[in-house]
Amino acid sequence: MAERRRRKTETRKLWDEDPVRIPFQRSRKRSGVLVTVILFGFAVISLRLVNLMVIDHKRLAERAAEQYTVKEILIPQRGIIWDRRMREMATSVEADSLYAVPSKIKDKRNLSRELAPLINVSSKKLNMTLLKKKDRGFIWLARKLDMNTALKVSALRERSGYAGLGFLTESKRYYPKGFTASHILGFTDIDNKGIAGIELMYDEYLRGEASSVYVNTDARGNSLSGDVREAASGNNLLLTIDERLQYIVEKELSAAMKKWKAKAGVAIMMNPATGEILAMADRPAYDPNFPGRSRPSQRRNRAITDLYEPGSTMKAVLAAAALEEGVVGLDEEFDVSQGYIVVGGKRIRDVHKHEILTFPEVIQKSSNVGAVQIGLKLGKERYYNYIRKFGFGKKTGIDLPGEVRGILRKTEDWSGTSLAALSIGQEIGVTPLQLLAAYAAIANGGVLMKPYVVSDIISPAGKPVRSVSPTVRRRVISEETAAVVRDILKTVVEEGGTATRAYIKGNLVAGKTGTAQIFDPRTGRYSRKRYVSSFAGFVPADNPRIALIVVIYEPKGSVYGGVVAAPVFKNIVEHTLAYLDVPMEREENQIVLAGTPR
Amino acid sequence: MNFTSRDSRNIVASVLILTGIGTVMVYSSTALMSMRQYGSSFHYLWKHIFTVLVGTAAMIALSRTDYRRLRSAVYILLAGSLILLALVFVPDIGVSANGARRWLRLWPTTFQPSELAKVVMVIFLADYMDRNIHRMRDFKHGILIPVGVMVVFQGIILLQPDFGAVVSLGILTVALLILGGARLNHIGALVLFSLPAVYLVISTSAYRLKRLTCFTEPWKDPFGCGFQLVQSFIAFGNGRFFGVGLGDSRQKLYFLPEVHTDFIFSLIGEELGLAGALTVLGLFVWLFIKGVHVARRTDEPFSYFLTLGLSMMIGVQAIINFAVSTGLMPTKGLPLPFISYGGSSLLVNMAAVGILINISSKNEKIPAGRVSYGDNNPSHRVSYMKRRR
Repeated sequence: MAERRRRKTETRKLWDEDPVRIPFQRSRKRSGVLVTVILFGFAVISLRLVNLMVIDHKRLAERAAEQYTVKEILIPQRGIIWDRRMREMATSVEADSLYAVPSKIKDKRNLSRELAPLINVSSKKLNMTLLKKKDRGFIWLARKLDMNTALKVSALRERSGYAGLGFLTESKRYYPKGFTASHILGFTDIDNKGIAGIELMYDEYLRGEASSVYVNTDARGNSLSGDVREAASGNNLLLTIDERLQYIVEKELSAAMKKWKAKAGVAIMMNPATGEILAMADRPAYDPNFPGRSRPSQRRNRAITDLYEPGSTMKAVLAAAALEEGVVGLDEEFDVSQGYIVVGGKRIRDVHKHEILTFPEVIQKSSNVGAVQIGLKLGKERYYNYIRKFGFGKKTGIDLPGEVRGILRKTEDWSGTSLAALSIGQEIGVTPLQLLAAYAAIANGGVLMKPYVVSDIISPAGKPVRSVSPTVRRRVISEETAAVVRDILKTVVEEGGTATRAYIKGNLVAGKTGTAQIFDPRTGRYSRKRYVSSFAGFVPADNPRIALIVVIYEPKGSVYGGVVAAPVFKNIVEHTLAYLDVPMEREENQIVLAGTPR
Repeated sequence: MNFTSRDSRNIVASVLILTGIGTVMVYSSTALMSMRQYGSSFHYLWKHIFTVLVGTAAMIALSRTDYRRLRSAVYILLAGSLILLALVFVPDIGVSANGARRWLRLWPTTFQPSELAKVVMVIFLADYMDRNIHRMRDFKHGILIPVGVMVVFQGIILLQPDFGAVVSLGILTVALLILGGARLNHIGALVLFSLPAVYLVISTSAYRLKRLTCFTEPWKDPFGCGFQLVQSFIAFGNGRFFGVGLGDSRQKLYFLPEVHTDFIFSLIGEELGLAGALTVLGLFVWLFIKGVHVARRTDEPFSYFLTLGLSMMIGVQAIINFAVSTGLMPTKGLPLPFISYGGSSLLVNMAAVGILINISSKNEKIPAGRVSYGDNNPSHRVSYMKRRR
């Protein structure tokens, strides 16, 4: 018993003296506090989770939806422009455009530094742009990159993992023939909007329907849905232009421009029966693939926008009017031996002196004195009416933008010399197209046709949307009169005419030369140095397939229409007849006299 | 594994469920990334499963090893982990990524010694505080020596740099010193005097300073430095009660950076909702409480400190990770134990659980709550005194 008690006391003593007991007990007490703190931590997290996931759910989910979608703009494929034989004149190719979502770009400075040299801008400027528009969801950085650049940029994007950069495939306008027919076709801006020519005139048909869609993406802008997204393409156009004829015309015109060091040149070819424009060339020209590299003077379609005084080419109109009104007979003779005629105190001269000329010879030899006499016989009211009927002073209505009316004063505003001046093609401003349309009327038997360049509008699926048929504007002269004027115009290229250089072996050419001094508004007088040389005509003369006008502005060396413009006409016509496979009409050279019964 | 005690069964269950959830979520978060990088969606998954298997093996091995033997190996462990930490700086052995050198090349994967350092620190402190329990109220023994060891570890880790590990090591040490009986005014002074050091560490590093300001105002610059936090919020917000569905996260599509490692909890929130997030959180609470239960059955300081230390290590890491991803703490870069992709953390934490299981099995006979120092049980007193001698 005592032993037990002793042991108990000993243990008790040991227990009481144990140096570990007291501190360990303190530890156990303290542990409660620590455990509580940790459990409290878990509780705080739980509350925070409820706050984030339930209370803030709506706000955060909205924010999420916002960042999961990217608005994608779909730019439609612009319609193709074909020539009359379905050769592509303007088409669209795919090009990658680089865009940025500035709000998603984290390291703008680095990105600018790496990207700028690839897209040819200064890195400072790019950085500024990104910073300025940092809240925007979409900005273009570089449009329609060439394939090489696009590859380099996308490699950079992959390598550095830049979010907020992306490509959209856009369609880029491409003119495979370059300079050819550039004034007819026109061009588009970077957004594929037509700016000039057919591209502008038919923009609503060509452009198609633009649309935009919202696309689900991951943070790197990769689309998550696989659906096909395509905008409605534009309609295609079929032109009346024949690319080969256009090429012939442009080539010959360029050659003449070079030869005569001329300031400008225009040549238009038309089907006289229908008013279809087969070719329309302007010099200087430009490449519509790079419109920004040209000056406005190169881009102007002078065939419809520039006025000139037609000069002697107007005498065909005078002759037609005089014959239709019956004021002159074919055998009527005009005394031009004086070499000049005075009208209203103004002296009008001939270039070459002649004695007595019949009515057809006045036209053939382009006698100014004779023409004035015919004009005076016709009288100003009747002459004015015919000028109007032939379409001068009014737009021809061609489907190209920028056409001008021309200048034709009313008879009450005429001075004493006006009738005489108009008889030799002065005091009137015409466009080359107006004059060609008038000659086409003579060629087709007296009907003025409306010229046009687009014959068909075809939907992307190949269905016709609109088909243009030839439009008669009015009958100007009778068929008989037209035939007689054609016969007279044939003699111009024959022996004794002013345009023997337009003579073509095998086919009859009918035409008229024109040499007009340019009226200098500074001095108020006609310039002695600056001329416009022209030749308008049609071929084959008795069954015209083409009407053609060649206008050379300010040639150097020679100024006469018969010397400068007529050879261009001849070259174009020769190639054209070969291309169109027009049969030869005659074997040997026979002189056809004006007025001989047909 | 020894499943004889209820506590160890509970601990193993919670760890296995957490690891299972982790494996599924690692696959969910890495499948697309893996597909884009390696052409197979399983690349990261297989690596993770490999680590899980190695971790399980370590857990089983340690659950069968008498934890008391760790005491004799404390200094070896201490020196070993310091050497491993230093080896990170040796070229060819150390691996750097994202501007930090934290990993050792270890075929076929890498190992992060700072994770090991946390466990070693707990074991060291448990042993140290047991031996010096009666002197813990001294400033020298209670603060100076243990904090000195801690600072050595922290210094090396800070050079890597791994600020997350430094912070969790600090919190863990302070918690254990409180437990060990250090004077509270000493600890208060320690915290006060360490504040300038913390300030210095943060203010000298631009990105840490930035992280701090981003943390306070993430919505001010949601596309710049607040990006990660805002994206994490959005992930949670998307989830609501039951989530968008397993595998259907939108945030993992490159919106949320580090979604498979530090921010995997946000993904759980998004795909499995509040229900899933609270389940994971609950499993950690369960694990922690079971750890505390194991501690209550121990009857001497080393076991007690070690059990509570390891439990707190897991719990504190979980809380820090949760707090970071929910925006309650600044971003630090700390994985979520058992869940995050990242081998070392998983391996070390599973090893720690192995130690816990062993402690539980060795002390299961001792009734919980009325342990050795229960004054009402003289017989127990005797057995304790015998063991102590």
